[in-house]
Amino acid sequence: MPKGMMILVSMVVLLLWCGRVAYAQESVVLIANPSAPIGDMTRETVRAIFAMRQRTLPGGEAAHVFVLPDKHPLHERFTKEILGVYPHQLRLSWDRLVFSGTGQAPNEVGSVEEMRQRVASTPGGLGYLEKGAVDDSVSVLAVE
Amino acid sequence: MIASAFLRWSNRLRCRCITALTVAMTAGGASSAQADVLDTVQVHGFMSQALIMSRHNDFFGPSSQSGGSLQYTEIGANISMRPTKDLLVSAQVLSRRAGDDNSDYEPKLDYGLLDYQFVTDNSRVLGVQVGKIKQPFGIYNQTRDVAFTRPGILLPQSIYFDRTRAPALSSEGVSVYGEEHLSSGMLYFQAGLGKANTDNNVKNTIWDSRVPASIDGALSSIGQIGYEHDSGNIIAALTVAEANIDIDGPRAAPDRYSFRPIIMSLQYNHGYWSLTGEYALRRQSFTGGDHDDHITGESWYIQYTHRFLEDWQWLLRYDSLVNDRADPKGRQFEADGRGAAHSQFARDWTLGLQWNATSNLLLSTEYHHVNGTGWLPKDQDTSDQYWGMLLFQASWRF
Repeated sequence: MPKGMMILVSMVVLLLWCGRVAYAQESVVLIANPSAPIGDMTRETVRAIFAMRQRTLPGGEAAHVFVLPDKHPLHERFTKEILGVYPHQLRLSWDRLVFSGTGQAPNEVGSVEEMRQRVASTPGGLGYLEKGAVDDSVSVLAVE
Repeated sequence: MIASAFLRWSNRLRCRCITALTVAMTAGGASSAQADVLDTVQVHGFMSQALIMSRHNDFFGPSSQSGGSLQYTEIGANISMRPTKDLLVSAQVLSRRAGDDNSDYEPKLDYGLLDYQFVTDNSRVLGVQVGKIKQPFGIYNQTRDVAFTRPGILLPQSIYFDRTRAPALSSEGVSVYGEEHLSSGMLYFQAGLGKANTDNNVKNTIWDSRVPASIDGALSSIGQIGYEHDSGNIIAALTVAEANIDIDGPRAAPDRYSFRPIIMSLQYNHGYWSLTGEYALRRQSFTGGDHDDHITGESWYIQYTHRFLEDWQWLLRYDSLVNDRADPKGRQFEADGRGAAHSQFARDWTLGLQWNATSNLLLSTEYHHVNGTGWLPKDQDTSDQYWGMLLFQASWRF
């Protein structure tokens, strides 16, 4: 392999590796109101609840879903990393429920701080935060 | 002007509904739990207006005349609440004008239902709906009048055509649904029983005669099973339905019209682009009196949509309708003196563009190049075989 090519490949590998590190450091986590233990949820259940198709948590409590605006970077990362969908796809599934009478839209919050406060103060509240931004007011849920 | 009138109307509706709910709650003795219920009240709505300009044939009003047609308007508003954790109550009114159909913009109840989820755990959801329910007919039917949920201004007309939209749209009855969470994705079903809806459009389509007759919806059923792979990267669904309509006409005339479609739907979603295809066999029959007539139509389309620059999406679609599989080119139909051959099929190429100008405003345009008039209103059977139309639409929601 020519030397230039070697350097190029090494740089790409290094960039990818750095990207992975950054990704791991700023991971986004699913948070819940700490009043009732929910236990771990499967990815499909989290998707069903955030897609607003499932209205109660596995523990039996009414789910109250909080989201940031579609274009908020944290919302984008949450939908892609945890739910595996793009924000526009999630919005479409909400619209299909809201306008066929089979579901409601999630509660939209304006900021990360409001997200933490609303989830912390709403029994059955579910949302997401960056891992480093989590405090005692909310509990972190593992997604199986 | 229309927008401000609509806002006032929707605000009034919102106030009235909230007042009614508040009165109901206070009458039952207010508590914090009931205050929480009020917190679950949501009001949403939409409004869209199109301009249609066509060559040769008219679609939704006098679109082939200079200036085009503005006779395609959709206005809707809904309210929903969760009185208990398992129960959802919702209703929507819709005022839709499409050409001569509903020229006075009369609002109608689009749906009104109770939705009770009796199982919700990590592995499954099971629920039941009672009331006026939108039908899970193919991929797009349940929200076909909401521009934000459509890939273009018009849905593929071969499957979602306007002439017989009433029985396909909704029914009054009961429906059960469920989803099973698998490690690879989700399996879901919905099955409903109810009375088919009818309107003048349906009557004119199935009773093409000057002899007076009346029609009424009869017991009908619909079932859909589907599978969503992963997070919906692949969606496959099968819909089977039977819509029955009683005809009360002269003796010897048929007394029952049945529409029994089977629809296969397949969609591949790759984040920013999607490939969608649906295939339908549309079996129709007239029975009773001296009649036992059966006809099977065939519809399919393939559609590519691509989202770019985040808020823009373009669409390319080929859509094909054949009224009678036994006479796909309509030659026999014409030879029998029943009308033009080209009224028995339609092949539609569509190129479209959508722009989400804001999260609540959608601007769309699309061009159709069509061979055949299979899905145009029947009074246009004498029209041109080759025609085209250009549409613009502005849609707003809250």
